[in-house]
Amino acid sequence: MVFPFPRGITPPEISFLAEMEMVTIVPRQRLEGLELLGGPVEPLIPPRRTSVPLWLASLLKRQRRANILPPPWLHPESLSLILDIETQHADYQHAFSPPPPLPGQPKLRDRGTQKPTARPRYTPESQRYYPTPPFLPQNVAQDQAYEDGGEPPTLPFHWLEVGTMLLDVASDDVVEPDQTRRLLKELREVRSAKIRAGVEVLDDAAVAGGGVTLTGVGAMEIGEGRGFIGGVVDGLRRIGASKEQARREQLAEAANGGYDATQDDYDEMEF
Amino acid sequence: MDIDDILASVDRSDVSSPESTALDHQLITRFWVAERSVPELLPWPARLMDRMMERVRQQIEAIEDLAAASSDPSTAIFSDKPPNASTSTLKLSILQTDLSRTQYLLRSLLRQRLSKLTKHSMHYLLSTTSTPPTPPPPSQTPSSRTNQMQPEDSIPFPDDPPPRTCPLSPAEISYLHTHQTLLARHFGSSFLSSFPPQLRRLDDNAGGTSMLQGPDAKEAVFVRCLAEEVPIVAPPGDGVDEEVMGGTMRMGDVWVVRWEGIKKAWEKGDVEVL
Repeated sequence: MVFPFPRGITPPEISFLAEMEMVTIVPRQRLEGLELLGGPVEPLIPPRRTSVPLWLASLLKRQRRANILPPPWLHPESLSLILDIETQHADYQHAFSPPPPLPGQPKLRDRGTQKPTARPRYTPESQRYYPTPPFLPQNVAQDQAYEDGGEPPTLPFHWLEVGTMLLDVASDDVVEPDQTRRLLKELREVRSAKIRAGVEVLDDAAVAGGGVTLTGVGAMEIGEGRGFIGGVVDGLRRIGASKEQARREQLAEAANGGYDATQDDYDEMEF
Repeated sequence: MDIDDILASVDRSDVSSPESTALDHQLITRFWVAERSVPELLPWPARLMDRMMERVRQQIEAIEDLAAASSDPSTAIFSDKPPNASTSTLKLSILQTDLSRTQYLLRSLLRQRLSKLTKHSMHYLLSTTSTPPTPPPPSQTPSSRTNQMQPEDSIPFPDDPPPRTCPLSPAEISYLHTHQTLLARHFGSSFLSSFPPQLRRLDDNAGGTSMLQGPDAKEAVFVRCLAEEVPIVAPPGDGVDEEVMGGTMRMGDVWVVRWEGIKKAWEKGDVEVL
């Protein structure tokens, strides 16, 4: 009974997850609705748009039974805007460009003033459940362009996998596939440079109650960095075991004495 | 009863509905990712797994019926137009792909759990019982009883029913107990029988060091905060008696933190392991 995989999902498993993302297709043939184990699929009636999981969309696309409408972020214009944010914007010199908001999460510019209004669903075991990628419509085509909302485009959690798979299967449906491919590659390089530069702050994740933020990171980027980041953090923790004890006593003191400056220190740490 | 309970009862209404199928699929996917990522064994989601297995069984039956119907020439005689062979092949291939994806998910989840179980077998076996076997005092003079001591005597026998805190499923408990008993017998017959009787135990903690190794809850995991705010806690230990609050995660943030620091929040569904 050998299970050879390391802790944490591996890149093929991340692609497997990304294939659960919903994308929009325009079917070319009729097909009745199906009850799948992953949830129901609506009937396909050409030329009505339907959202289906990416694995099903690519299955239909390969057999030329449907066309895929690429998500709005997978467009040279959106990608170069995001690339500008990643490289030029002063706030994101050391951080990733902001991810799309979760349901109920206020828009980026309102986040200081508005509270999140997320309403969890409940599981049959009455546990709270907040849907997250790959089960959010982050990759479906939208009717309105970004200009209307004034919101800049954002990279979804599974951007690299979905982008690569769409370029692979449906490059004739993507606008300017070569340009898009080049921009994806550039984004990937810019962002992996940020991960490498962020290694210095990993020390903060090695103490009790501490952590390092990676907000905006993509699933595949976590997969790539998991072994290294996890290893460094665990190594630093072993080295700093004595330092940690002193720090914990200090934290306990702070908690008892009402001195709460330590908490604010954490919020500044970002990649 | 507050508003959350009312909402909960509404959402819970019908387990066989398509919405519930979709929700269970999302839950099992998230649980799989978490089980693959965290250092310790997560509590067995018995009801969720029962529902998933039942659905897989029904889906296999449905696919078999469909395959039989499409290959059966007699049905073609009664229908007005010839059956659209390509559509029914497409439907079958979609259903089968979906089934294989779900089966892969379940298989990978179970294999990951088995690998964690066998890695720290004695640690998890101890969690299945509230009365662990007590080692004899180390200073005891060798008596006739300890001379008969075998390695498998140190193996805890699972309670029935297991304690509420036990993270294992009944099948995992019986597997683990049999596995560990076989292993202990093998150790005994191959080399432990030539040791002095008091050194034959597999759960010795002489000298203050326990032979039993558990998973390291301090290992780092990647999480996303889903609730409005979630504090990272430092649980008691290392000379500090009470729980200490560390940093605060806000909604949508992705953090690298220690598993022990957000384990409670994960149980409440406020964070997601990535």
